[in-house]
Order: sequence, then C-alpha cells, then structure tokens
Amino acid sequence: MAVLERLWRSLAARARPTGGVMPPTRKSQTRDLGIHTPPLPARVTLLLEDGRDQPWREVQPIVRPGQYVRAGEPVARAVGHLALPVHASISGHVSALCMHDESAPDGQHRPAVVIDADGASQHQWLPALDWQAALPDEIIQRIADAGIAGMGGGGFPAHLKIRAARQASIDTLVVNAAECEPYLSVDDQTLRRYADRVLSGAAMVARATGAAAIVIGIEDDKPEAASAVRDRLGELPCPARLEVIPTRYPSGGERQLIERLLGRRLSTGQLPVDAGVLCHNPGTLAAIHDAVALGKPMIERTLTLAGRALDRPGNVSARLGTTIEHLLIDAGLDRARLSRVIEGGPMMGQAISSLSQPITQTTNGLIAATETELPPPPRARPCIRCGDCQPACPAGLAPQQLWWHAQAGEDQKAEANGLFDCIECGACDYVCPSHLPLASGFGEAKQRLRTARAESARADQARHRFEARQAREQREAAEREARRQARRQAAARRGQQRDATSGSKETSAAAPDVRGLRIAQAAAKAAARKAEKALERAAQQQESADVLADLETQLSIAREHLAAADARLKTARQEETRS
Amino acid sequence: MSHLHRHTNADGTDRGHDSATLMRRVTLACLPGLLAQSWFFGLGVVTNVITAAACCLLIEAMMLAARRRPVSPTIADGSALLTGVLLGAALPAGTSLWLILIGSLAAVAVAKHLYGVLGQNLFNPAMVGYALLLVSFPTQMSLWPAPSGLFGPDAVEPSTWLARWLGQHPPAALDALSGATPLDAFRHRNADADAALLLAPGAMEAWQSVALAWLGGGLYLLHRRLIDWRLPLSMLVSMALLAWLFELLSASGGVGFHLLGGAAIFGAFFIVTDPVSAASGRRARLVYGAGIGALTMIIRAYGGYPDAVAFAVLLMNLAAPLLDQLVPDRPPRQPAAMVSSDDD
Amino acid sequence: MTHSDARDIAIKGLWSNNPALVQLLGLCPLLAVTGSVVNGLGLGLATLGVMLGASASASVLRHQVRPEVRLPAFVLIIAAFVTCVELAMAALAYELYQVLGIFLPLIVTNCAILARVEAFASRQPLAPALFDALMNGLGFALVLVLIGAIRELLGQGTLFAGMELLLGDPASDWTLYLPGDGGMLFLVLPPGAFLVTGLLIAAKNAIDDAVKRRRPAPTKTPGDERRVRVTGVVR
Repeated sequence: MAVLERLWRSLAARARPTGGVMPPTRKSQTRDLGIHTPPLPARVTLLLEDGRDQPWREVQPIVRPGQYVRAGEPVARAVGHLALPVHASISGHVSALCMHDESAPDGQHRPAVVIDADGASQHQWLPALDWQAALPDEIIQRIADAGIAGMGGGGFPAHLKIRAARQASIDTLVVNAAECEPYLSVDDQTLRRYADRVLSGAAMVARATGAAAIVIGIEDDKPEAASAVRDRLGELPCPARLEVIPTRYPSGGERQLIERLLGRRLSTGQLPVDAGVLCHNPGTLAAIHDAVALGKPMIERTLTLAGRALDRPGNVSARLGTTIEHLLIDAGLDRARLSRVIEGGPMMGQAISSLSQPITQTTNGLIAATETELPPPPRARPCIRCGDCQPACPAGLAPQQLWWHAQAGEDQKAEANGLFDCIECGACDYVCPSHLPLASGFGEAKQRLRTARAESARADQARHRFEARQAREQREAAEREARRQARRQAAARRGQQRDATSGSKETSAAAPDVRGLRIAQAAAKAAARKAEKALERAAQQQESADVLADLETQLSIAREHLAAADARLKTARQEETRS
Repeated sequence: MSHLHRHTNADGTDRGHDSATLMRRVTLACLPGLLAQSWFFGLGVVTNVITAAACCLLIEAMMLAARRRPVSPTIADGSALLTGVLLGAALPAGTSLWLILIGSLAAVAVAKHLYGVLGQNLFNPAMVGYALLLVSFPTQMSLWPAPSGLFGPDAVEPSTWLARWLGQHPPAALDALSGATPLDAFRHRNADADAALLLAPGAMEAWQSVALAWLGGGLYLLHRRLIDWRLPLSMLVSMALLAWLFELLSASGGVGFHLLGGAAIFGAFFIVTDPVSAASGRRARLVYGAGIGALTMIIRAYGGYPDAVAFAVLLMNLAAPLLDQLVPDRPPRQPAAMVSSDDD
Repeated sequence: MTHSDARDIAIKGLWSNNPALVQLLGLCPLLAVTGSVVNGLGLGLATLGVMLGASASASVLRHQVRPEVRLPAFVLIIAAFVTCVELAMAALAYELYQVLGIFLPLIVTNCAILARVEAFASRQPLAPALFDALMNGLGFALVLVLIGAIRELLGQGTLFAGMELLLGDPASDWTLYLPGDGGMLFLVLPPGAFLVTGLLIAAKNAIDDAVKRRRPAPTKTPGDERRVRVTGVVR
C-alpha cells in the first residue's frame, strides 16, 4: 500500500505543472536605459512607524526640529523588536517631526522626520568593516545598524533574517534575481552594472550565516545580467552556481523559487530557514555590501519608473524619502496622460492615492500608467466554475474552492484547503474571466483568521490571569489553614485537661487522605517544572513579549498550585500526627 | 489585486474569453448542428429553438424581477439564451408550445433560479428541462418526424404547422408522423431480427449527418479554447469503449453507430462542457466525462429510454462536487504548522 | 377551554402549525398516495379517525400511563385504532382499501399522530385534546386533498375520478375531464409529488409574508430587554 502511495506521489509530482501565468512583460520600456541619478530633492520625508498598530515596528526619533543632520546620520532608533533605525538620506536641517497626510486614517499627521536640504552633500558614514576578518555577529550587527530591510518588496529587517538563518544553520544562500513582475527591471540593471557589489554582499551574508553554497536564480529574459553574474562567479569564496529559469510569473516567489532551484518543498507555515535556505534580493545584498565595506547606511535605493505617461522612463537611484512626484516629474510625467500610479509591480502592487507620498525602502517600482495601459477591469461577475484559476496558481491551490469558502464566511474551511499557502501573487486574478478580485479576497480572509486568532489568544491570556488570581487565593487559604492547624495543635498540647473536661470539641473528621494529597503535590510540582521549561524554550526562540508574559502567568499559576498543595499536605500530616 | 487582466481590453471592456462572450460564442457554434437538423427534419426545429429561446428569456426576466435583481445585466450574459437554444435543439421537431414552456420553466426557474444565480446551479438546466419533459410526456417526446427535408410535409402547410405548435393534433395522426430513431432500433435489438427495417428510409444517414454537423460546431469550440477538451474526449472515449464491448457481446450497435447516433456528439460538446454543472478540477473532469459516457451506454443498452445522455448528465452532475474532492489535481495538502504572523 | 384557546388551536392545526406543510410530518403517505383526490381523501379521513381516537384515549388515560413507557403505550393505542380503521375500510370501501395498500397500516408510523399525542393530547383534558386532534387531522387531510387535486388535475387531466370508491355509486359522475389527452406524467410520479408539495409550502410562506407585511410592525415596549449583568443586555 505504501509502495503504491509513493508511486502515485512521484507520478503526480512529475505531472504537476508549475503553475503561473505569462502576462506581457513590458520591460522594454526601461531595461536597457541604465541607472540614472535624479537631482537631489529639496526635502525628504522619512516615515516612522509609531507603533500604534504594530508595536513591534516602533521607532523613536532622536533629533529635534531645527537640528542639522548629515546624510547617513541616524535620526530614529529602533524600539520594537522588528524595527530598524532610520538614517537621514540627505544633509540639511530637520524641519518637522510629522507629515501632513490626507490619506491617514485618523488625524492627518503621520510621524516622520522631514529634512530640508541645504545643498551641501555632507555625509557621515560608519567606519568600514573588514568583513573577512570580522566575526559573523559583527557583520550582522553592522547590517542592523545600517537599517537594511528586504528590498524585494517584503521589508522584513535583513539582520533578523540573517540571524535566524545563522541559528538554524542554513546551508544555502539563494539570490532571488528572478524579477518576474512585469515592468520592473531594477534587479536586471543592478546586476548588469553592479554585479560585483551584489556578489560581494552575498559572500558577506554567506559568511555571516555559515552558508556553504550560493545559488543565483535569474529569469531567461535577462541574458546580459546573467552573463555579468556568470563572469564573476569565480570570485566568490564558496561554491556558487547560476540557474537560469524560464520566464513565468511568479517565478520569483520565495517558496516557488526554492522549490525550483533546490527541490525543497516548504509545507504550510514553514519558513525558508526551516529548509536550510536564506533568500535575498540583489538590491538588499548590494546595500549590505555598501554598509559593511563602505559603512554606508540605508539612505537610497534603485527603483524602476515606468509607464507610458512618462516621457523618460528608466531605472533611478533615489534617496529614501523623496516624494513620488519629484521622481516622476524628473522622468517626464505628463499629467494629461496619467490615469493612475501603481507602487510596485502591476500584479501585486497598490495604486497610490497621493503623489506627495515619499518612497520607502520597499518601493521597488512606480508605474505611471495611462488609461489604456492598465485599464480598470469591468464589474466582477459570478464565478462560472471554469477552473482556469487552478492551473494558474503557483502554490498548487484551488482558488475556486477558496473563493467559495471565503465568500460563504467559511474561513476555517478555506484554511484547511491551504489558504495560508497563498502568496497573493494575483495570477488567479489575471486569468479569471469573470474578473473576480480573488487575491484580495484571500488576503481579507487571512486577515480575518489572524484577527480571530489574536483575539482568542488575548482571551486566553485574560483567562490565565484570572486563574492566577484564583490560584493565589487558594494557596493563601491553604496556608492559613495550615497555620491555624499548627496553632490548634500547640493549644491542644498546652491545655490537655481542659480538652478532656469539655469533651472532644474537635470532632474528628474523616481521616486525612495524606496519600492522595502527596500525589496531588507531586503532580503540582511536575506541572510547575513543565511550565518553567515552556517559558525557557519560548525565551530562547525570542517569542514576542506578550507570549512570554502569558507563559510567565501560567508558571505563576503552577507555582501557586504547588504552594497550596504543599500547605494542604502539611496540614494533613499535622492532623495525622495528632490523631 | 492584480492590475493586469488577461480578459480586459485596453478600453476596460471584456476581451473575448469572459463569461458573456463565451456564452455568445457557444450559441453561435450551435448553428451548424441546427442548420443540419432543420435541413433534415423540417422547420419544426427552427420553431423549437425560437420558441424555447423566447420562453427561457421571458422566464428568466420574470424570475429576476420576482427576486428583485437587476434584469438586463443578467440577461445580457447570454446563459438563458443558450439554455433555450440547447433545449430547443434537443426536443423533437415541431414540439408544441406548452411543452416548450413547461420545459423552459423547469430549466430556468427550477434548475437555475431556485439554486441561486448563475454559477450555482447543481444541474445542467437544459437537461433538467429535457428530462422533465421526457418523463412527463413520453408520447409527445418520441414524435421524431421521419426525415423529410426542409420543405417536407411539416413545412408546406402553415396551418398544420401552427396546429402542431399549439399542441392540437389528433392522437391518431401521431403514428403517421413519428419515425423510429436509430436508437429506438438499438433498444429493440434483441426483440427484432432485423432492426433496421423499423427505420424510415434515410434516417440513419440523416442522423449521422446531423451528428457530424454538431461535431463541426464542437471542433470550433475546441479550436477557440472555449471548452475544456478533457470533457468531450473522456465522454466519447468511454462511450466508444463500451460500444465496442457491447458490439462484441450482442452483435449490434457498434462504435460509429453509438457515437454518431442520438445526442452523443451534441451532448459531448455542448452539454457536458457546461462549466457550472461539471466538475472543476482537471483530473476530476476526466472522470466526470468518462462517467457520463459509461452511464449513457449502460442506460442505452439496458435502461428504459432510447437515448440516455440527459439522464447520464444529470446523474454525474450530482457526483461532480464529490469528484472534485475525491480526485484532486495535486496531492493532498500536508498538515498545517503554526501560522507565520509576519509575511515577508 | 376558552374561545380564544379554541381559536388558537384551530389556526395552529389548520395553518400555522399544519402537520404537512409546516411540521413536515407524515410526508411518506403524503407523497405516495396523493395521486388523486379520492386517494388523498381516503387516507386523510383514515388519519383523522385514528388521530381522534388516539388523542381521546391518550387524554383519558394520561394519568394512568407512566412517563417512562408513554411512547410505546401511545404507539399501541394508535396501532389499535389503525387496525380498526383498516378493517372498517376493508369492509366499507374495499377497492379503495386495495388502492391504498400498505399506507393504511403505515398510519401507525405517521409521526404527525404520535407527535400530537405526545405533545398535546397526553397533557390536556379530553375536550381540548379532541379539538386539537380534529384540527390537526383536518389540516392534514385538507393538504392531502389539495395535493391530490393538483396532481390529478395536471397529471391525469381528471378531477374527482374514482370518487365512487369512497362515496358510493352516485359519486361516479362527479368526474371532470380536462380537454386534451392526459397531463404531465411527471406529476403522477413521486418526484412530481415532491415538487407540488414544495411549491405549496412556498405558496404558504409567500402568503404568510404578504400578510405580515400588510400588518403594522409590533412596537417594542420598554422593559422588553432583560438585564442579566451590568455589562450585557440579553435580547
């Protein structure tokens, strides 16, 4: 039976197509135009996360309005455990600590550091680091100090990923140069021009994590970038290979890329580090190289400006905090032709509401599209169960099933059918003949599930706190009883005649069950030890603060129970000796 | 939310492959088969189709109004029209108005609207209507006229035609009008020594030509990728297999006979391929089509009705959701671990 | 039993708690024998007779029967009355008895009777129990006759055909014939019964909705909400 199962699975694996779709790539607008540096803006706005919605990303400004800062100087420090320090991207005076933003949900001021340029290009880098001699932890610390986040659109702090990879002892570093989204050609240009910086950054990360091999994955529509990388592969200190994969969207999805390059399949909820792999974007690696070798913190990034509403599209290297408007105007924006601006790629990107928003570390592209270039889709019709979405899904899901479940509010069933494997790539949206907003529907369902889970965790924590209080009261009652018992014994010993005359006032209750209480006490001790171990393990895995607090509460409950059991046992023993 | 869509034109309108255009194109692909049927069996076919289409559209509009839903966008998606055309094509030529009305009621009001909007009907609406009529009016539904051509006895006298359309024909004339279909002959294969004698002259060729015309329409649908090739292929292959087997066992019928006689081709390309009532996974569709083919052959050989496509389709419609679960495209999912709270 | 109680029982038994259309009990005979009016009427009358007898007996004996064995006891009572009715029908309307076949003895298993006996008759004195049985039985019988009429009319093209089986020879010329040659065979078959029953239930619901819409909405009096804890309100 098991043999048949294995045979079936191998046949199915061979027959399993890779999913994905082939949208028009539209990269010819920008791919061969090099990287242009626009003039420095007059003002930059560096957005800060204030921690109201996401306290783990909170940063606090460390400058005051009016203060003069140089480019590269830190202006905000990380507070939350997933936060990154922010550095001034140009030199000048700090003019305000908030940004006026009409699209902000409550109030119109978002925390930010606004710097007015002074024209002089003063900068302040960190000292250069000899990475080949430095300890891996020093490299990781430098990456953290430079405030580098994943630049492929994810925005997760790079140093945390690298540290987790080091702890998991990964063996392979994957450079994700697939760049499968249409329009974007940032990675293409970066590799063509700066392959040395990218590969050097890869070597640094390999050293920091202990990875033994490097694999670079690139799509076959970037032959110049591929040959630029191939020429330099020998310079890497560890075995490295270049894999050219067929152009298909979304070949650059982390899980799909790892499966294609290394043949390792991640199950739901697993991270790449669990499979011994760390993935990084070429831009991130180039920034890591700059931070370590030059001491340059995260102050600028390369991004693609595309779309037919621009006269001079191309790739630019822009300072963080530059407004979108500044960049688009420099690229020759024709507002008459402009229909909308998409941040990111056309498949997963978001339409932005205001051109005065600044670019951030995660902005990898801006598409200034005309009406006919990216037309808004017609009204969604009912699903006709055509099944086209199933072969398109790169994660092997059945979007149709998930859609019906999500629409019916059966989020649990959607989860059981693999909702959390969905990478929201939008390939199913692309092929749907009824123009259903599938990917956003799945995102909403995931959000509902996460919120429900967070609420039930909070309810559990509240319950644990209540139980702790109850346990404490029980322990106090048991200890009071033990003390009373001891006093009674002492009084009985002192006045035995009085007891004899007045008769046995103390009616002997049933014989105390000492054995049962002893068992209960042993069980309580075991429970307390288990709670201690759980807390230790969680602290090692660096769980979030409220998880640790909850485990501490549970530990205190176990300890109170143990103390109460001790007291009761003591009382019973005293009664036993008395009778 | 993807901003690029395969099925959106530059001006924001639907491109060819969206659901409304799909219905329109499938309706157009019915033309060769309908023309052939009219050629051989008279204008009764035309009146069937027009009446059925009109009834279906009318009933759809009334149901939408009764359910307080917007009428014109839903009518415009062409599915009621297609149901009417398919129902009209399946009925014997010159069926009376009342029967068509009842059939359309069953197809549109019961099988489609009582189950929800488009996309939620469990059963194929045209087949529900046809099966209901077949069970309710067995005599009228076996009144297939002998192939007498486009200008045969039915069409020459308009008064006769009108009377038939209104359902007023004296019962005695029924026998004179009806001819046995090749499948009737197959059903009586064990009783009569030479079943071919029962057929009117030219009936076999007429039916085969009609089937080939429907095949033409079906091939057009395949070429334009408007239908999934797995459905007609699996149905016809399983039918062929069983037909060959039955020929071995009882020396009548045969692969060509069964595939070209009756509604096999029509069903394979126009009925089985309805995406809403069919299974949706690719592998499940192969099993679904094969099941329909097998059931059709079995009912034809051993069941109480000469042509069984409608019943086979309805039975497999019931099984379609289960097939999607039991025959998934990809291997079953691995158990979910802890959900990661921070997506990269 | 007051006048308003009686009115309540009557409305419930005939309409708002109709055994066939609302409680959906006794569907087996409902769907199987309602092919014509005479069948429906025959079975309806038989069920009515059994219901009256069983309810009366259960009500009279309600203090004697121990609660633990009440259900088997009621089934025994019902079976006794069904046997009587069956024998009576065999004696008085033999052809109809043959047509109804097994559905006469199956009245014992008709949940409508057992449910009324258990829920009402065994807890009420004789008069209300009898009246309730009468109303429920009439409600059931009326639905049987209605479905039988629809199915016979549209399915066979006749109405009141075969009434002489139940009501004697003078009833043989009550039969009406629709013009045309027969009706929809589908309605005479079981699926047609399901469809007609479903449409009747839909019609009843539609009538109820229309009546409710025409009546003004009842106003909520203050104090309708019970406060259970200071933090919540139970509605």
